[in-house]
Amino acid sequence: MKGFDLLAILLNPGFSAMLLHGIVMTFVVAIGSWLLAMSLGILLLALRLLPARIAEAAVAAYISYHRNVPTLVQLMLWYFGISSLFPAAMQEWFGEHNGEVLFAIIGLGLCQAAYFSEDLRSGLRSVAPGQEEAARALGHSYLGTMRFVLMPQAFRNAMPALVNHTVSLFKNSSLAMAIGVAELTHAVKEVESESFRTFETYLIATVLYLVCSLLLMAAGAALSRGTALAGAR
Amino acid sequence: MLQGAISIVSENWLLLLVGQYPNGPLGGIAATLMLSVLGIALAFPLSVLIALARISRWPLLRAPATALVYVVRGVPLLMIIFWVYFLFPLLLGANVPGFATMVCTLVIYEGAFLSEVVRAGIQALPAGQMDAARALGHSYPRAMRYIILPQALYNMLPAILSQFISTIKETTLGYVINVPELTFAANQINNRLLTKPFEVFLILALTYYVVCYSLSAATTWLERRIATRRAGPAPLAVMEAAG
Amino acid sequence: MIRFENVNKLYGDYPALADINAEVARGEVVVVCGPSGSGKSTLIRTVNRLEEIRSGAILFEGRNVHAKMSSAELNKLRSRIGFVFQSFNLFPHLSALDNIILSPHRVNGLGRAAARDRAMALLDRVGLANRAHAFPAQLSGGQQQRVAIARALAMEPPAMLFDEPTSALDPEMVGEVLAVIRGLAQDGMTMMCVTHEMSFARDVADRVWFMDAGRILETGTPDAFFGAPQHPRAQRFLSDLRSR
Repeated sequence: MKGFDLLAILLNPGFSAMLLHGIVMTFVVAIGSWLLAMSLGILLLALRLLPARIAEAAVAAYISYHRNVPTLVQLMLWYFGISSLFPAAMQEWFGEHNGEVLFAIIGLGLCQAAYFSEDLRSGLRSVAPGQEEAARALGHSYLGTMRFVLMPQAFRNAMPALVNHTVSLFKNSSLAMAIGVAELTHAVKEVESESFRTFETYLIATVLYLVCSLLLMAAGAALSRGTALAGAR
Repeated sequence: MLQGAISIVSENWLLLLVGQYPNGPLGGIAATLMLSVLGIALAFPLSVLIALARISRWPLLRAPATALVYVVRGVPLLMIIFWVYFLFPLLLGANVPGFATMVCTLVIYEGAFLSEVVRAGIQALPAGQMDAARALGHSYPRAMRYIILPQALYNMLPAILSQFISTIKETTLGYVINVPELTFAANQINNRLLTKPFEVFLILALTYYVVCYSLSAATTWLERRIATRRAGPAPLAVMEAAG
Repeated sequence: MIRFENVNKLYGDYPALADINAEVARGEVVVVCGPSGSGKSTLIRTVNRLEEIRSGAILFEGRNVHAKMSSAELNKLRSRIGFVFQSFNLFPHLSALDNIILSPHRVNGLGRAAARDRAMALLDRVGLANRAHAFPAQLSGGQQQRVAIARALAMEPPAMLFDEPTSALDPEMVGEVLAVIRGLAQDGMTMMCVTHEMSFARDVADRVWFMDAGRILETGTPDAFFGAPQHPRAQRFLSDLRSR
């Protein structure tokens, strides 16, 4: 085995470019799916609050599916399965325009939306019971009560869980390599096979992932502390 | 489409169930379950040790345990699989089958995550338990073994079962290192058929759904049972029983 | 201003409110007292429809609060009735000042600057101008309740309802809250107050309503009620209170 030499990877323009591209793709997938997951999660919660029982059942089914089917399988179903249902012209377009990234974002986003929605729902449940009454007694409408009193508190209560799931989402971006997205783990495999410096390559990627995760966790902890509410159940 | 799905299942159910066995290694659902059970069973004692190390008074134990948990929590499972796949044969000096690599990875991964569950369980017990145990003269290890851990683990059974469900979902990553579990089997079928990817992967998704959903229903039932057990009988009943 | 006409409320078969007929005139201060479970909190909560009624009508400024109406109309009605809760229910994610600003600004459409001025004036009136930017978690119970009163007053309601405003407070803080309520009464606010504080009732009330088992059993001026209660249950209630 050749001696341990990090610089052989870091200073090599080809390899470092591949790894850099990998990081960029990781962020693209992570941020894209986070935005999708958060907006959809809020929408799902809103649907759940509708009086129609079918809305509650539909959302519950959605969440049940996305929590019980492994994320990798969900991605495969999207990329291999659902894409095959599109007309041939669209499939070609996907093939030429990095469709796998789109499917990765959709697959991961839809999956995490289920978790975010549950986190927000728990957050809403743990808002003190008198809050809604107090807002209504002052004359706020249902929407006003949600907007100014209940949802701000629900978000603050749900913060720790939301942060945890955000870190999960970030790590799940690595699953996209299985459907061909050139994110960091995929790049690692490529650099490894070309450079034969497995240990160094793995180490660089691991450090990168670790630093990002720890930064996310730290930022999340700070955010949770700063916005924590006294008196939540 | 439904007909297509049914025909896929009826032609390939054996492959999905047990893989190439007996003409090859055990695969399919059987492999998935074996991986998960082995993974969680072996991870469990490790997780208890890590949890104890994390709450120990000695920094020499606490620091590495904490570091291990943070690293495992911060790195994607896929990366950890690649590490184990690379290091395991190096350390053992021999070729390691994918199955064993996957089990080892799951043991490390779940060992860390489960240790957080165990740690939470221990710390959720009233402080008075340890105090009472020490006051009665038990040493710390004895108190842990006979008083704290049994209670903590009983309370944490639903959470542990939850982690088992997670482990089943994690086995799908074995696909990437060609472990012949269920996802790998489904991909084999798809690569052969090529014309019905949607049906194949839908069957795959639904199979996992059925397995994991039943287990999470069992977890909810268990949670309720433990809650009522822990709450104890109604106070009046206790008083009457006491006479 | 507030009139109860044949009001009945049932929890299953249990009469929470039975044949309530009573009236609170403009500028009048009515104290509602009685043993636990007598229905006094339920009664006051029906005025702004936090509780529904089975039959009868409750008229506020001539309008039946329990008539069929759109939610917008109900919200408008509620904004004209100030309600102070036993557990304060301040919004924990907003400062004291923002708690008070929120509703005039968002419900009544008052401009932010005007709402702020009104809020500061009210905080001053309840003696908490220096804690305007504190959050509820940083305030004592008595301070929180005073902010809650200011929050209700900010909507400039013609009537205020108090549901056991001091029952959740430590004894040393009861006085500061009662002082604020007393001030409101002296300024001529129409008020209904459910309370156990008998000396306060004696001081401030124009009339006392005694309730038990969902009925108003006796009404009278404070002197008449506390001095010579007529109804046997009222007599028992007062003697129980005094023997504490």
